[in-house]
Amino acid sequence: MAAQSTASSARRAKWIDEWNKGAPQFGAVHHERTVEFGQTLRVECFRLRNGLRILLCEDHSAPVVAYHTWYRVGSRHERVGKTGLAHLFEHLMFNETEHMKPGVLDRKLEEAGAESNASTWLDWTHYNIALPREKLPIAVAVESERMQHLVLRDPQVASEKEVVANERRYRVDDDVEGSVSEMLWATAYAAHAYRWPTIGWMDDIQNFNTEDCRTFYDTYYAPNNATLVVVGDVAERRVLELVSEAYGNIEPSVLPVEDVKPELPQREERRKTVQKPTATEKLVIGYHAPAFGDFDHPALSLLSEVLFGGRASRIYKRLVHDEEAAVDVHAFVGPFHDPGLFEMYASAREGHSAEALLRAVDEEIAKVLVEPVNGGELARAKARFELSLLSGLETVDGKASTIGFYDTVLGRPAGAFERLDATTRLDAGDLLRVARRYLRNESRTVLFVEPAAAKGAAE
Amino acid sequence: MTAGTAPGNGAPRVLCETSRALPLVSFTIAERTGSLEDPPGKEGLFRMTSRLIRRTGAGLSPEELDLRIDSLGASLGVDVGQSAATFQGTFISRSLDAFSELLVGVIARPSLSDGEFGKLKRETLAELVELRDHDRELAQRWFRQKFFAGHTYGRSASGTTTSVAAAEADDIAWLYRLVTTPQNFIFAFAGDIDERQAHSIAERLGAALPGGEPRVDSAPEPSMRPGRHLVIVDKPERTQTQILIGCLGTHPKDEDHLALHVGSTIFGGTFTARLMQEVRAKRGWSYGAYANLPYDRHRRGFSMWTFPKASDAAPCIALELDLLEKWVSEGVTSKELAWAKRYLVRSHAFAVDTASKRVGQALDEELYGLPPGYHAEYVERIRALSLEDVNGAIRNRITPSDLLVTVLGTASEIQDAVKSAIPRLESTEVVPFDED
Repeated sequence: MAAQSTASSARRAKWIDEWNKGAPQFGAVHHERTVEFGQTLRVECFRLRNGLRILLCEDHSAPVVAYHTWYRVGSRHERVGKTGLAHLFEHLMFNETEHMKPGVLDRKLEEAGAESNASTWLDWTHYNIALPREKLPIAVAVESERMQHLVLRDPQVASEKEVVANERRYRVDDDVEGSVSEMLWATAYAAHAYRWPTIGWMDDIQNFNTEDCRTFYDTYYAPNNATLVVVGDVAERRVLELVSEAYGNIEPSVLPVEDVKPELPQREERRKTVQKPTATEKLVIGYHAPAFGDFDHPALSLLSEVLFGGRASRIYKRLVHDEEAAVDVHAFVGPFHDPGLFEMYASAREGHSAEALLRAVDEEIAKVLVEPVNGGELARAKARFELSLLSGLETVDGKASTIGFYDTVLGRPAGAFERLDATTRLDAGDLLRVARRYLRNESRTVLFVEPAAAKGAAE
Repeated sequence: MTAGTAPGNGAPRVLCETSRALPLVSFTIAERTGSLEDPPGKEGLFRMTSRLIRRTGAGLSPEELDLRIDSLGASLGVDVGQSAATFQGTFISRSLDAFSELLVGVIARPSLSDGEFGKLKRETLAELVELRDHDRELAQRWFRQKFFAGHTYGRSASGTTTSVAAAEADDIAWLYRLVTTPQNFIFAFAGDIDERQAHSIAERLGAALPGGEPRVDSAPEPSMRPGRHLVIVDKPERTQTQILIGCLGTHPKDEDHLALHVGSTIFGGTFTARLMQEVRAKRGWSYGAYANLPYDRHRRGFSMWTFPKASDAAPCIALELDLLEKWVSEGVTSKELAWAKRYLVRSHAFAVDTASKRVGQALDEELYGLPPGYHAEYVERIRALSLEDVNGAIRNRITPSDLLVTVLGTASEIQDAVKSAIPRLESTEVVPFDED
């Protein structure tokens, strides 16, 4: 096996040498490393001379391929007054390029039978295309075209601002959980760019102009700020040829040094009460939590499973099943490059108060601060994480998303499996440690949501 | 390839496709009936019965059962529709023996205890209150209720606060005995499991259940109220509206079903479809604009869904109606048809790229009475459609004169404008969002 692998590496090195002799100016290919991805797959990591990274995973289980592009720019790279620009820009990337009039890009992909979408979050922007394997050149052409030849005009920017404003109304303004989650982050953070929502404040969305968008594009949409993830029924050499030719003439840009404003430790609890048009009270809590790459993150995620993950978790069982005080509770530890929040949400039943829910949550948290969780709870939490990981790897899109996400946030394409290994090794002491380190009242923000009286009800 | 077998002795039907790509098995245990079994006034009973089975099976308490499922690296959910219901989930294949034993125990030996039923009933009532926070789901619920008024499809599988409150423990026991019979089940497995193992699970469950008559779906074909009708679901402080506009659609057994499916794709099935281009790309009125043509055991509806801000609701409805009328009167073009065929034929690769999707297709054919080979011959049948086929199906099936328009929003702010945006409107009804 080792001899076969060596022979394969030698063939690759020989081919790369030959290819690079005639490659475009910035298209020379460099093989960086091979990373095992689970039991049967491997990720081959390459880089072009212009800095574009390519993570390639051959998976011949179905005649399809996923072609994902991750830009290392998200809402954290925005500034006050210009929030939501990364997300608005994601929308604009589906519009017009020098060689594709408005609508042509989407139509090309649809004609190829592609599934495509995009998403933006705090740390990144992600464009995903999955298509039949023989149509791969179309994905390469579309993504390389919009990386270098996007056209930004006033009418499209104005129209897309309106679409994003409507998306905001849908996801935030008319959605109770969306609006209070936004308020939680804005209250919990005072300095770091995580304090504003990825979709942006409504005023900012409506005030963007075309020049803002052009500056953003010129700054961040460059090969040395992007990673391609290709997973599917493809041949390595063919992918590299296509990518080298399509992206090999794009110059790298000078990326700005990020103006990071680290969040200072929170020294006292912050509380707010808000009114929303809802029938029942809600409770939202955010504890400052470690970054995704922090040694403590897997342990705190397991603790979240013990407390909130599924019907057998402590707080779900107590509040939803046993005491019948809540209709739903859930939580998660943010998977972000910088320290995020351990966000908890509970919706009270009629006749129950958010204050009472908080008392119950606090009692459960007090227990995990003094007593180790039992072995059964720990095993349950680990099994849930393993199932969740495996379930996300069924399709080429799922694999590409997993590889790209872990690579973008942690710089580790197989980080999912490394996290699984790390999780397996955790014991009750690790959960006790992170409970004591992070679940401190002074480092949390608590929001109470009260039902707003209907207008005119008292008249 | 998905293998399907129907062993004798009343054992459940089994569908299975093996894939060793991941150490994971996905499964669906489907019942050939669903909330259409709910007695009048007890809507939501089937769903509560299924959820109670899920919580009280295998001789374990709800807590023990959930702990056991999670610890095996498994998930087990319940989904109840009008025509079918499923217990479905995934498990890590190393737990095959332990989880399959548990699964059989859950379905064959639920305690259906009174105490847990009481808890479930109160939880369901709380969920119905919680639903009022979710505008999209609320609008869809009202649309279905009004669109299929008088038909089983108009009755909510989740029930109403009144019907859920009326359910009794005896009703649950009666319904469990009625529908939990081997003949009513279809087992579908995909992943790291072989046919022998799949059959073993099905046979164990079949042997553990009492016999019974197969259930027969006697629901009539749905019809629709003639004319154009408006329902405003009145909810305070909405900055945005949820708009659903629809008429009757087709069933896959109809000869023109796939032709209408292609027509609907051109109209509102993708990002470059007419509806999305006109509503979102050109005007920026709504984040999404889609047409939908679902299938079930009987004919369902064709519908459009948009969600513009309140002040754009009326012009958006007017535009949608105009687009609909032009689609019906002028049809689609040969260029649009060629594009839609390429899209549907090529994107079919993603309908069959995993074993669980392929098994899911075979299961759908059985559950919803699809014509034999509906999925297997899908690509060839799409390719064979002519422009006349597609435009004929649109003309024959879509009825711009008979439409239901449902708008969730703040009535005082939108009502007059919305009414004036619908020519030939025959009735308007305003319902409070929190009414049953």
